[in-house]
Amino acid sequence: MAVIVKQVELSWLDRTYFWPIFKGMVITMRHFLRQITTRTKDRYTVQYPDMKREMPEGYRGLHELKRFEDGAIKCVACFMCAEACPARCITIRAEEFSDLNLTQGFEEKRPAIFKIDMLRCIYCGYCEEACPKDAIWLRKDYELAAYDRLSMQFGKWDLMNTYADVDGKARLTQESEKEIKIHHGDTESTEKR
Amino acid sequence: MDQLSALLHMSPATLWMAFKVLLVFAGPLTLAALMTWVERRGSAMIQDRIGPNRAALFGKWRLLGLPQLAADGIKAFMKEDLVPPHAHKFLFWLTPILAFLPAALGFAVIPFGQSFQSGGQTYHLSLLDPGNGMGMLYPLAIGATAVYGVLVAAWSSNNKWAILGGMRASAQMVSYELGMSLAVISIFMTTGGYDPHQIIAAQNGMWNVGPQFVGFLVFFTCMFAETNRLPFDFAEGESEIVAGYFTEFGSMKFALMYLSEFIHLVTASALIVTLYFGGWRVPFVGNPGVLLSVAAFLGKTLFFCWVFVWVRWTLPRFRYDQLMKMGWKVMLPLSLANFLFHAFLMFRRG
Repeated sequence: MAVIVKQVELSWLDRTYFWPIFKGMVITMRHFLRQITTRTKDRYTVQYPDMKREMPEGYRGLHELKRFEDGAIKCVACFMCAEACPARCITIRAEEFSDLNLTQGFEEKRPAIFKIDMLRCIYCGYCEEACPKDAIWLRKDYELAAYDRLSMQFGKWDLMNTYADVDGKARLTQESEKEIKIHHGDTESTEKR
Repeated sequence: MDQLSALLHMSPATLWMAFKVLLVFAGPLTLAALMTWVERRGSAMIQDRIGPNRAALFGKWRLLGLPQLAADGIKAFMKEDLVPPHAHKFLFWLTPILAFLPAALGFAVIPFGQSFQSGGQTYHLSLLDPGNGMGMLYPLAIGATAVYGVLVAAWSSNNKWAILGGMRASAQMVSYELGMSLAVISIFMTTGGYDPHQIIAAQNGMWNVGPQFVGFLVFFTCMFAETNRLPFDFAEGESEIVAGYFTEFGSMKFALMYLSEFIHLVTASALIVTLYFGGWRVPFVGNPGVLLSVAAFLGKTLFFCWVFVWVRWTLPRFRYDQLMKMGWKVMLPLSLANFLFHAFLMFRRG
């Protein structure tokens, strides 16, 4: 397809070069003055390590495994996320916990191992969609880097603590789970009530 | 001055000369180094960017990015000094000097302040005193030798890009020299002398830029071509000839050649100021004295340095044929017409 190039008739003033050049210089000077008088935080450039951009709603960044208020994990180890994951980066091993299954006759499951291989994860958010318990969220942290491959394997405790500092929650450890376990498995007190 | 010279076992004239040499050498060098900073930060500001601001002294004081100069210098010194195997070794080593010297030498005749008297002796604030017989011809001649730096760089590196870039740059410099010289000649004619001191003295009350505006435009444009700066930077072209005659140069050799371009720029601004903007003269002050005159000269020179940067980040490049057309068909006739017009005016006035 031929393109017809529009011939522009330049005016006498434009053909001298100097007037258009002068106009252009006024434009660049305006940009210069505007940029130099703008405060750093109002400029277009986000100076990354010093300033950080607020990510938009719905941004899919680093995962968080959500917890109840007492610190118990929300995940029930249903494997829905692992099934949905197109990158096959989620590894779960379930375990039963609490004594309720003995006394009341039903099971409570939770992940003994919940591992996400961050090097494989493509941050598609399918796990978040698949989760029936809203237990895994992809949130706004995007600063994910490590010096070796092993540190990019995020385990259960890593994933539960990813946003602990941001949200002002307590960091959970294996020990804190034991306490919760005692609390949950406190069958005597439940029976008394 | 006398006491100090007695202390150093020098005659006052020698001491004064040594002082001036230091000043004239270190001044443009410092300005050129600063100009690399101005160019980078200024271009950033023009393009709504921020520019290099992370280099910091001891990792603490950023000082608007000025430590970047030191960082670049250290980096240039520390880098491996590579001479390509098929290059002409001697000329390759000579090139940075050939590029650097004409740029630095051009400043020698330019008066950067008003002459003053002390102890019955007149001190001139230019490296070469008036009446040296060279006058403004000297910077023009020295400026012309800058072509050798370019050409030797191109031939010695034995690289097609370098040769193409060098040929382009030298053809451009030679063809724009004509228009420039004719513009300067009409200045010589109207001021009646070719010594910069005389030219500045003649600009009392009215700077040359007023009556010689066309000449100024021609000279100014030719200065862009002479200093190989955008919109006429045909020495290099990323898409066609990589870095032109710089291509094979690395480490401090490259830094020196890059710096000499900026010294060229400073010298060019000083020439423009001397020829067309009254040198050290201050408007409405007949006799500004040493300090004020030096400040005025520095201010004007810095302004024109900034204009060089400003124009660079405003205008796109010309095409090479457009450049040649402009040099030969616009600049040369224009400055010739300017010359004839002023000759005619002088003839009518008698």
